[in-house]
Amino acid sequence: MTMNILKRKAKKQKQSASHKKWTIGFLIAAVVIWIFYTYIMGNLPDGPQTVFQNWLPPTTVNEAMVWVICALGLNIVVGYAGLLDLGFVAFWAIGGYSAGWFMSTFFQQANFHFLSPKDVAKQPGIHLTFWVVLGLGGLICAMFGIIIGAPTLRLKSDYLALVTLGFGEIIPQFFTNGENIGGFNLSNGTKGISPVDNISIGPRILGPFDFSWKFAIFVFLTAVMVFISLRLRKGRLGRAWLAIREDELAASMMGVPLMSTKLAAYAVGAFSGGVGGVAFATHVNGVFADRFNFSISIILLAMVVLGGMGNVWGVMVGALLVAWINSTGLPAFGDLVNTTFNTNINFPSYNFLLFGGVLILMMLFKREGMIPESRLKAILHEADDTTSNVGGAH
Amino acid sequence: MKKTYRAISIVASIAMVATALVAGTSAATAAAAKVLTISTDLPLQGSSFDSNDSTNKAIALYLKQINYKAGKYTVKLKIYDNATAAKGGWDDAKCAANAQAHVANKTEVAVMGTYNSGCAKIIVPILNQAPGGAMTMISNANTNPGLTKTWNPGEPDKYYPKGIRNYGRVCTTDDVQGSAAAQYAKSIGVKSVYVLNDTQTYGQGVAQAFTTEAVKQGLTVLSSGAYGEGWDSKQSSYEALFTKIKALKPDMLYVGGIFDNNGGQLVKDKFKVLGDNTVVKFMAPDGFTGYPDFNSMPEADGAILSFAGLSTELLLKNAPNGAGAKFVKAYKATYKKDPVGSYPIYGVAAVQVLLAAIAKSDGTRKGVTNAIFSGSGITIPAASSVLGKALVISTLSGDTLAKDISNASGLDS
Repeated sequence: MTMNILKRKAKKQKQSASHKKWTIGFLIAAVVIWIFYTYIMGNLPDGPQTVFQNWLPPTTVNEAMVWVICALGLNIVVGYAGLLDLGFVAFWAIGGYSAGWFMSTFFQQANFHFLSPKDVAKQPGIHLTFWVVLGLGGLICAMFGIIIGAPTLRLKSDYLALVTLGFGEIIPQFFTNGENIGGFNLSNGTKGISPVDNISIGPRILGPFDFSWKFAIFVFLTAVMVFISLRLRKGRLGRAWLAIREDELAASMMGVPLMSTKLAAYAVGAFSGGVGGVAFATHVNGVFADRFNFSISIILLAMVVLGGMGNVWGVMVGALLVAWINSTGLPAFGDLVNTTFNTNINFPSYNFLLFGGVLILMMLFKREGMIPESRLKAILHEADDTTSNVGGAH
Repeated sequence: MKKTYRAISIVASIAMVATALVAGTSAATAAAAKVLTISTDLPLQGSSFDSNDSTNKAIALYLKQINYKAGKYTVKLKIYDNATAAKGGWDDAKCAANAQAHVANKTEVAVMGTYNSGCAKIIVPILNQAPGGAMTMISNANTNPGLTKTWNPGEPDKYYPKGIRNYGRVCTTDDVQGSAAAQYAKSIGVKSVYVLNDTQTYGQGVAQAFTTEAVKQGLTVLSSGAYGEGWDSKQSSYEALFTKIKALKPDMLYVGGIFDNNGGQLVKDKFKVLGDNTVVKFMAPDGFTGYPDFNSMPEADGAILSFAGLSTELLLKNAPNGAGAKFVKAYKATYKKDPVGSYPIYGVAAVQVLLAAIAKSDGTRKGVTNAIFSGSGITIPAASSVLGKALVISTLSGDTLAKDISNASGLDS
């Protein structure tokens, strides 16, 4: 008995040491990238600078960080609580529109300013500071997470996925058609809302070319989401999520309150999606309804699955990699191949073929993802020892 | 922890050494050589790929024809793609990233693009604030009026935060096209019309302009609202919609939108319920041009299409020996097929404007922008313009001043 307790303690220590290593690694990488983009990149000779611009431009890094924030949110719902969500894009959309509503001249009839950047002081509309909108967007999303989560409480696996898929379709469609709701223009339809206010830190306003500072802010938001994820995972709520993920019936028999635990997963996940949505709106300087389509939900899910469901670091690596391939990696690789071999192949059009292929290979050979969560890995490898199909059951 | 500190200090010292090393070389490279880059920024994935790929090919061919020269400068072309596979079309994040890349590319002085007005609304403000002077973008295809004219609240000034213009276009806008279409409808004896739109920015814009002008012309507009009724592109049948319209007995149906938005089904169901295009006329804007699928449909026989400019066929017909016709022939000889749709030729026209501005400038972004938006501006004479007539860009708005583009001669049946 004591041996067991000691073993468990040792394992826990090992896990927390691993988290510490990853945290330090993450912070070092962030600092290196920040120093590079702030002080080095602009001073590089043209050749190397072009290489970096082609392969790893700062805007791609910033965009990838937004994907990471959203993927971390989805990881709580799918990775921790095991609730398959095929409509996560809805939260990204609501977060984005929160920025559109509260950080722009869109509501011309209103004139409300709160700590807004100086350059919009005389403009009509609702202008709250980015930092307030972050929280506000997150909270609106959390509320919607609960609203969306409530009807799905009695559903499991495929049926749950279908309902979330439905919500993921309804909400963006609502924004697309939300130009005239009883005479009220809520979303400006497909025209979208642009531009949104710049981020301000005290008197300093971050313009479109201050990407290294935006990067620092996005890293900070990611760090907060990682912190929330890790702390919750360790606590009572996180353990309850895992219990539900592994066996809902057993969990409820052991006294885990299914309703509040599941709703908490939706709310926390949606909060993260909302924060990501607000960050993204400031990144592209606007919010456009046709961005929020089904494929975004699928790519987010692919990031979580490829990276390693349930492991924040795995999800982060997965999100960075997939976002980079989607926006820059594949086109840059295509250019390289086309110029080297004098061919004319449209590489980005093979994006989904590549994703599909990688997903199939991963599912065949490394179902637990690139950087797996130890618990999930153990469960999946139990399946190797016996002939039962544990991985496919959940 | 010791290890960590060591790692950080190593990284910091590498960074410092690298900064010191490169600081010396950057001054030498800053002096601009005489090779300048112009770029295209178009969606190269999704349904508009064929047209935009053709635009890039046409521009590459044109630059080759003029031996890559603009005044004393040599011009190089760089191609940007503002679409991602994930979106299956233009991607707002990619547009933002491209805008940054245009600014970061030191030799790049001007941009030809974009295809979608939404993407231009992201890129233009960023180029407007470029350090060292605004960078110009000229579009071959953006027809949304708000980019250059007073349209929705705050437009167009909100796209130009520095208060100077840096965006122009060589095609006309939806309001001009829509109203020309209404005038044409009146001229062919139409008395009543029902207006549909595809619920998108472009479709609504052109339908709104059509509706406004139709009312002014004394036509009876049977649909309600400023831009008629929206059709949902995800619907599998429009028979119910047309049955409702049939009861109102319109002479003509005006369809503001893009063929991609389930236009095929719409045309089929219109034929089925309202009859062929001699019974109830069918008119659509340039969102229906350049689609072989549409042209080959028997239900599309007799449909009237407008284009925000001259279609390639009209260009060849109007001026068979002009610069435009010669260019189309050269394109066919090089690539063994015709340019797809009419936007490729407009892409070349936009590049002609940029090259004229570069030739007139001091080789900087600011110089190119000033050449277009100040003084006498840019005029491409009829003899060399690929559009077969003089092309004038307004120094105030950036719109094309070629007024006759919008009259009924541009309407092709």
